[in-house]
Amino acid sequence: MSVLAVDDDPSILDLMEDILSGEGYRVLPAANGLEALRVLDADRPCVVLLDMRMPTMDGWGFAAAMRDRGLRYPVVVVTAAENARAWAQEIGADAYLSKPFQLRDLLLVVERFCGPAGRPGGDPSGTVGFAY
Amino acid sequence: MSALDLLQGLSQITWVALAVVSAVSAVRRPTRASIDTALFFGALGSVLVYSKIVALLELPSVGAVVFVVLVVLMAAPYLLLRLIRDFGGVPAAVRRAAEAGLVLSAAASVPLVLLPTPTPGETPPPDPLRLAVTLYLVVYFAAVSIYCAARCAQLAATSRGMTQQRMRSVALASYLLGVVLLLAGVGAVAPVLAPVTSGLSQLCFLASAIFYGIGFVPPNTLRRYWQIPELRSFLARSSTLPRLAMQEIVDDLGGVAGRALGARATIGLWDDPGGVLRFRDPHGALPTEMGPSGFIAWRVFSSQQPMYVDDVARVHPENAEAYRRAGVAPVLAAPITAGEHRLGVLEVFAPREPLFAEDDLQFVLLMAQQAAVVLESRALIDDAARVRAQEETARMKEDFVSAAAHDLKTPLTTIVAQAQLLERRAEREGRTAELDGIRRLMRETAQLSRLVEEILDASRIERGAFPIHPEDCDLAVIAREAADRDRPGRQRVELAISGPVSGRFDPDRARQLIENLLENALKYSPEESEVVVRAWCDGDQARLSVTDGGIGIPADDMPHVFERFRRGSNVDHRRFGGIGLGLFICRGIVEQHGGRIWAESQPGRGTTFHVSLPRMPAGTGGPDAVPAGGVASR
Repeated sequence: MSVLAVDDDPSILDLMEDILSGEGYRVLPAANGLEALRVLDADRPCVVLLDMRMPTMDGWGFAAAMRDRGLRYPVVVVTAAENARAWAQEIGADAYLSKPFQLRDLLLVVERFCGPAGRPGGDPSGTVGFAY
Repeated sequence: MSALDLLQGLSQITWVALAVVSAVSAVRRPTRASIDTALFFGALGSVLVYSKIVALLELPSVGAVVFVVLVVLMAAPYLLLRLIRDFGGVPAAVRRAAEAGLVLSAAASVPLVLLPTPTPGETPPPDPLRLAVTLYLVVYFAAVSIYCAARCAQLAATSRGMTQQRMRSVALASYLLGVVLLLAGVGAVAPVLAPVTSGLSQLCFLASAIFYGIGFVPPNTLRRYWQIPELRSFLARSSTLPRLAMQEIVDDLGGVAGRALGARATIGLWDDPGGVLRFRDPHGALPTEMGPSGFIAWRVFSSQQPMYVDDVARVHPENAEAYRRAGVAPVLAAPITAGEHRLGVLEVFAPREPLFAEDDLQFVLLMAQQAAVVLESRALIDDAARVRAQEETARMKEDFVSAAAHDLKTPLTTIVAQAQLLERRAEREGRTAELDGIRRLMRETAQLSRLVEEILDASRIERGAFPIHPEDCDLAVIAREAADRDRPGRQRVELAISGPVSGRFDPDRARQLIENLLENALKYSPEESEVVVRAWCDGDQARLSVTDGGIGIPADDMPHVFERFRRGSNVDHRRFGGIGLGLFICRGIVEQHGGRIWAESQPGRGTTFHVSLPRMPAGTGGPDAVPAGGVASR
């Protein structure tokens, strides 16, 4: 099971890799929307963790391009912006995660879309939302 | 009665009337100029009255009387010269020459009186001496008159406004008087031309009386008429004036006032912090900064009464030389005041005393009132701009705080999740020795995250961008959850809640509200003490209270408890952490819900914070409100 992580901050990508590979997921990193689209040419992730504000192609651009190509992957908006919820609704995402997020919320949301990877999760702590 | 008689009568009446008017004004306000004016008109008027009486009563001419009359008549041009000196100055040499000419005239009049008067109807034999003396007198009179005319024309050319009009008038009158004399001379030399010259000379004599009157004793209506064009052009501009820079406004106002009165003007603006009047372009004897003093401007400003001083050197003899050098003799001054707001003083000054009249003070007062309107408008515009700039600065500050707090979140994301990952692995792998350190790291990171969130929330509230998402929920449940959370201190949290307290609230913000109040209470309470959380329904209001037995809030701090960055004056900042945002955010949350928050406190005994929230706030009960949680169905 692979997770597409899109974020222009390499620390976040390393962190995702560190957390999710330890849980048995494969992480496909992409630094912007364009790279993410290239990843989708070759792989079929079970969820896309999408930062919104990125250079070259931002989250809105990526979501639109995905729609144009008829690709339907679950998308989780991961952002530090105040309006995470509104942005998620705007691009038709399936959930949102506010930065800084709790580890268990990240695992919970990935598990929700990719199925359990063997480890137990927990109750959401407030940084995650599936709410609309 | 012939036309000539009528003309003669009219001109006699005019001259006599001017003599009376100027005499009255000299008695009322005896200044050098008013006395000289009265003497000039009086000389000519009295000669005319005398000759009229002699003609009417057919009195025999007495030599001595005729001599006196002649001397008085010949004094008229000299008195005119004195008057011109009062208005604009006359070189001393000219004055001395005129005085010498007058003495000579008196001497020359003696043979004229002693020679036998020719009986009427009889053609006198040509007498060369009489002719020569008459010619001398005529030429002297005409020369002085024409000099005065030329001097006035010169003064008119260098002055403006009302002064220019008056000087032109006097110049014209003097030319006409000169012509009268020349015509008399022609009549004396060539008696055949007398019928023509006498008519013309009577006409000129009447006209000169009228123009002298206009120039030397202008009626107030005429003064106002001269002031109107300047006033009109000022009023036309006055609506655009407040948009100009302060200095341009002051220059413009001063210019208008000066031009209208044919003088110069200066405006002193009140500098409140400095406690002085500031003049930008003061005349030579006026300081640029004026505090309490005997200066006219200060007296007018402090008494708020307009003032007319005909000779300022008399008021300030110690500055007489400076006033003379600066060309300041009469001063008109009026306070510039808008309502209760004293803005400054308008001072109009001229180099010669007779240029102003008492009546001009009304005009200066009017100008000062207009100046007040313009300056006050300018001040209001400045105030509005200052407020806008302050708002802009505040907004930029909020934007900066918001951006900075936001940027802190990115590194925090890595730190928070990485610390949690480390904890998870250490737990799994049984590396308990590392757990304490990792948890310390997590605790501090969580605290840092909370601070960043608080700063962002406070900034949202300050910007008015603090949305809430109300939904059906139970405050009792939220309060219980908040009270049950593990806390580091050793104080007890007691719950006094009976039954549900349901309504439409934002559950996340309600939790934040209760946690903030609870943490605040715990922070300032002694060890082992008790904090009581109550929640109950009170009609359509949901009520909450959090009571502690802590240090309390001093009465002076009470009004500021919910302000941003405010901390109690009795709080030891080293002992109690915090940046003073918690209660500010609480108030923001409560107000967004349309509720009320307040505190009751006894210093040293404890504090109770009360919250009252409408259970069904207006406009939030719509069916489109979204429930929390749940995966979107797509």
